[in-house]
Amino acid sequence: MKCVIAGAHLRVFGRAIHAIARISDEFSFDPIEKGVVKTYNLTCQECDPLQAVFAKHMCPNILKVHPRLLADIMIHFPTSQEEVTLSVTPMKVCFKSYTEEDTDFSKTMLTEIQLNPDEFDYFQVGVDSEVTFCLKELRGLLAFSEATSVPVSIHFDVSGKPIAFSIEDMVLEASFILATLSDVEKETASQQPPDFSQLQESLKTGMGKSGTNSMDKDSNPEAVASRKPPWDGSAPNTEPAKPVSLLAKQEIKSIPRIMMREVTGMEGTAMTETEGHAVLGGEARESHYQKFHSLFFGAVSCKEQDAISHTFHSLATASDTEEDFGNVQSSQVL
Amino acid sequence: MRFRAKIVDLACLNHFSRVINTIAKLAKTCALRLTVSKLYFILSDKVANGGVSMWCELCQGNFFDEFQMEGVAAEHNEIYLELVPENLSRALKTAQNAKAVKIKLTNKHCPCLRVAVELPSLSSSSRMVTHDIPVGVIPRRLWNDFREPSVPDFDVSIYLPVLKTMKSVVERMKNLSNSIVIEANLSGEMNLKIETDLVSVTTHFKDLGNPPWASEDGCQSSTQSRDLESMAEARIDIRKLLQLLAGQQVNPTKALCNIVSKRIVHFILLHEDVSLQYFIPALA
Repeated sequence: MKCVIAGAHLRVFGRAIHAIARISDEFSFDPIEKGVVKTYNLTCQECDPLQAVFAKHMCPNILKVHPRLLADIMIHFPTSQEEVTLSVTPMKVCFKSYTEEDTDFSKTMLTEIQLNPDEFDYFQVGVDSEVTFCLKELRGLLAFSEATSVPVSIHFDVSGKPIAFSIEDMVLEASFILATLSDVEKETASQQPPDFSQLQESLKTGMGKSGTNSMDKDSNPEAVASRKPPWDGSAPNTEPAKPVSLLAKQEIKSIPRIMMREVTGMEGTAMTETEGHAVLGGEARESHYQKFHSLFFGAVSCKEQDAISHTFHSLATASDTEEDFGNVQSSQVL
Repeated sequence: MRFRAKIVDLACLNHFSRVINTIAKLAKTCALRLTVSKLYFILSDKVANGGVSMWCELCQGNFFDEFQMEGVAAEHNEIYLELVPENLSRALKTAQNAKAVKIKLTNKHCPCLRVAVELPSLSSSSRMVTHDIPVGVIPRRLWNDFREPSVPDFDVSIYLPVLKTMKSVVERMKNLSNSIVIEANLSGEMNLKIETDLVSVTTHFKDLGNPPWASEDGCQSSTQSRDLESMAEARIDIRKLLQLLAGQQVNPTKALCNIVSKRIVHFILLHEDVSLQYFIPALA
């Protein structure tokens, strides 16, 4: 495979790499055409792209904001801040440090930012909600979107349902879909954690041939998958004993695979695939208060002719293998 | 116990932030003492600090537009809080163009200093950023630990060289040695010396001037009878000296040090409305 990126696109590509680098040690990309400026040899691995489904257009809450504003908000949080809570009502928007029952308040500095809905380019709150997601991973997107100066759209629902941060312009669309902490997870005592070891194995083999490098090391310490299906409100959990794709046990060092394609407007490149690809990030911590991060990153060509182009086929099922493929897949459609 | 204060003037806010930044570089945790007219940041000389102590005093009127304090009791109208100055520094860092900053002592889950920053925004109403900084309330029985240190009976008192120069000299010396000798005499001469097995380096400063200290009882101070050329010296931890020099964000109006030979070096940095005293004990 020979890949070439021309001119100004290189800058955007570079920013995308930076964004990805905050999430993962590896990435992969599909071939592009034309315009040799420089040649870089990058190692990459074959893998099976993951698929996911997330219906953005069905989210009751939509905010649209210039990335500069988001950056101005996030700057008030320390860089070590892992999770933030976004709380909205039709009257106000608030970002605050995430706290849980056993937070030691005497040792933790808490920050809260209150904004007026006026500050947003588009503000729609269909349901009051409070969603908690991973800030660290979002910072990657923020850096990337500032390079493009394209407004960021935030689609979300109630806690537990995913939140999507997306940008779209002439040449690309990018989406970061993050899991949010589910309130339901607090009552989970009775449910046994699903059988993770199988999932772990399936992730490994599904990811293609690489026994060597990143499988064995902690490639993504900050990406943690929830123990419970984060969107458990809506997904029919028909197989309680089977792991929902995002669930991962402690030892999983699964590889986030990020696929992003950039299509230059002028080239009319035929896209061979119309689906976006996704990423599953890996490692669950065993705390009775679920820690989580699940991160998907999908980019879809604007040339996509797919009738349901707004539905991102980008929810990681992560079990593209013999074993759990059928079962897991069905429980993931939103 | 109540405390609330407000800053609306940007220059005052920036000045206050700079003071806090300096304190944050000198102490990981320190005491904040609030009285009706002043704020003090105090680090008492515990073994944990390596015997270093700090006393920083500000007149609240020079910074705050509003300042209301009610101490623990009528006869003891003061509040002592233990805090991590770095937290305060961080809260103020992003308030550089604030319309107003309010600081209030609260007790929601635990005692906190709530810093509320009102920022301008594109919309009709301001953006509000609130930081809750946890603090510890220091009980009255421990207040004695935080008394103002007295000026030691020094052998030599001398004005410091330009801090920036002194800092760059000390920075380079830090790579060669862990300890540094400061010596000075009453003729305005100061030497900074390091010595290792391989090398010894001395930087000489002269014409620094010696501050005139009036003694309390009007008679000759002990330094008057001292030989003008004779050096008083102390060997101190170089990193502590560098912490002091590197933390200075603004050039002080006056900077001097008092050396008690082989015992302690007492630094005094004076700005218009802030005074900072820093004590570094001599190494054995």
